[in-house]
Amino acid sequence: MHIVVCIKQILDPEIPPRNFQVDQAAKKVIPGDAALVINPFDANAIEIALQLKDRQKYCTVTALTLGGEPCGKALRHALAMGCDEAIWLKDAFFEGLDSAATAKVIARGIQKVGQIDLVLCGRQAGDWDMGQIGSLIAEELSLTCISVVSQVDVENDRLRLQREVEKGVEIVATDMPALATITSSSANQPRYATTKGIVLASRRKIPVWSAQDLGIAENLARLVVVENLTVPNYERQIQIIDGEDGPVKGTRLAQVLAAMKVLK
Amino acid sequence: MPGILTSVTIKNGSPSMSSREVLGMARRIADQTGDQVAAALVGADVSSLTPELAASGADVVYLSESEFLTEFQAKVYLKVFQDIGEVAQPHTILFPADAIGMDLAPRLAYRLGAGLVTDCVDFAIRDGRCIFIKPVYGGKALAHLRVTTPVALATVRPRTQEPFPADTRRIPERVIVAPQIESIPREATVTDRIEEEGEEVNLEDAKVVISGGRGMGSSEAFRQLKKLAKILGGAVGASRTAVDAGWMPPSHQVGQTGKIVAPDVYFAVGISGSSQHIAGMGGSKIIVAINRDPEAPILRIANLGVIEDYRNVLPALIDEFSKILKN
Ligand SMILES: Cc1cc2nc3c(=O)[nH]c(=O)nc-3n(C[C@H](O)[C@H](O)[C@H](O)COP(=O)(O)OP(=O)(O)OC[C@H]3O[C@@H](n4cnc5c(N)ncnc54)[C@H](O)[C@@H]3O)c2cc1C
Repeated sequence: MHIVVCIKQILDPEIPPRNFQVDQAAKKVIPGDAALVINPFDANAIEIALQLKDRQKYCTVTALTLGGEPCGKALRHALAMGCDEAIWLKDAFFEGLDSAATAKVIARGIQKVGQIDLVLCGRQAGDWDMGQIGSLIAEELSLTCISVVSQVDVENDRLRLQREVEKGVEIVATDMPALATITSSSANQPRYATTKGIVLASRRKIPVWSAQDLGIAENLARLVVVENLTVPNYERQIQIIDGEDGPVKGTRLAQVLAAMKVLK
Repeated sequence: MPGILTSVTIKNGSPSMSSREVLGMARRIADQTGDQVAAALVGADVSSLTPELAASGADVVYLSESEFLTEFQAKVYLKVFQDIGEVAQPHTILFPADAIGMDLAPRLAYRLGAGLVTDCVDFAIRDGRCIFIKPVYGGKALAHLRVTTPVALATVRPRTQEPFPADTRRIPERVIVAPQIESIPREATVTDRIEEEGEEVNLEDAKVVISGGRGMGSSEAFRQLKKLAKILGGAVGASRTAVDAGWMPPSHQVGQTGKIVAPDVYFAVGISGSSQHIAGMGGSKIIVAINRDPEAPILRIANLGVIEDYRNVLPALIDEFSKILKN
């Protein structure tokens, strides 16, 4: 089976708010010295693909990304984790696309990869948090789309997916090809890249496909545009509960809350 | 002219809280644009909910009823929404950002050739059209986004909007849109459902939520939080890191990609307070943080803070609460 995992490189979402700044005139985030990482849900998707590969006899995992120069690092990391192939959709033409246009380009990329059985995407990217690329790619390619999936299995040539729902999980069965958007769970924590994997990945030549390679000549419309980007302030005035040790602080906290009459 | 169409999610036989919040937002948009507000009521045996939707703010209810709509199937629901869209001709379609909304909205947007903004928390009106305001970078920034297509779609984050004050005298116009869905094949079948063992208090409705994070260190440690929750009649939540570690089931995750809660009191124990976590609990009335790191970002948004290892604090806290509440 052939799995394509769509990945995106983003600013590390764990940077604290005080290290975060925006350029309001350019309506862009100032990257500062924040690290670039693979979007965490995409890393969960890679892990799911690699787990399938571990269990299946014939399975190829291709990592695919769309983006500018630093994204090569994300693809090498995916290869170092154990992906078989990497594809880079890179072209000045692809800069500043919105979700709809991005999905269109990625769908063309997947088509060019060839016969595929499963496409995996993270449920959303930790930068613009749009959460629509997976569904839009599925629509572009007329694939069944199952969202918020935490595990994937193949059983009698059908997919068996575990989907997180409001109160528990659903097991969903569907035919291939299909697309799933992946959420994190204890069962899909991304594996580390091995030293050998890192060395091998650094030597690989990664194919780069341009707009022309994908047969995209038309200008891609922007369905959504950014009008403004601001930094909100959620700060509150804090009262610190003090005391000589933990138990005293615990007792005082209970008393302060009781006095506030907020607990019924 | 309807103008704004909202999608209604039915939960336990009634329009969900989030659906009523979305109707509330639609009403507030309509107040400024002069539009009519319509609700799409889709499901099996749901017509009796029409008055409730009118009371919650709908001028028009588009009703699509069929036994084939008992269970949510995206492809089938998409067809129904396309049909309703054709009759209603709205310029704005709003969904609650719940599981169904997040599933349907992008695919419907694609089919309508429309732009979509997900997870809105606010709006502004400019030139008679909505600018949607959504948190980006996990809530570290707010983006104001304009949809350039004639129809605009948006999903609305739960607990960010006030529902319309119920007015049971309102009588809606009712439009029946017969569903033509019999021939649509199912995309997928649900072969099994594994429900978690029933919690006494629903996390989203709880007046007190006690959440633990990576700092808890183990699933056993959550027992203490459950004990505290029991005494206070509250529910237990968790950060995503605690869920990923397998200490709590995913349905207890609080945050941007988990449940959105707004209790009277929220306890964050061993939680750093990432913006993605705050996205799910920032609306709580009182926030109590127990964290051993005085630099933890949660302390910037908390009302009460205890800077200490939680293990030294919780037993005394539980003891004192049991004493106080006994009296
Ligand atoms: C797209 C996206 C969506 C996300 N959605 C969510 C979401 O919905 N919900 C969510 O929670 N996260 C979400 N996250 C993850 C989020 O970014 C953080 O990784 C996560 O919230 C951190 O969890 P934490 O605070 O438990 O862990 P940490 O950040 O590791 O914090 C642990 C805290 O515990 C304290 N601590 C440690 N030991 C003790 C002790 N003994 N006593 C007291 N304090 C102690 C530490 O000082 C620290 O402050 C999302 C991330 C992304 C990228």
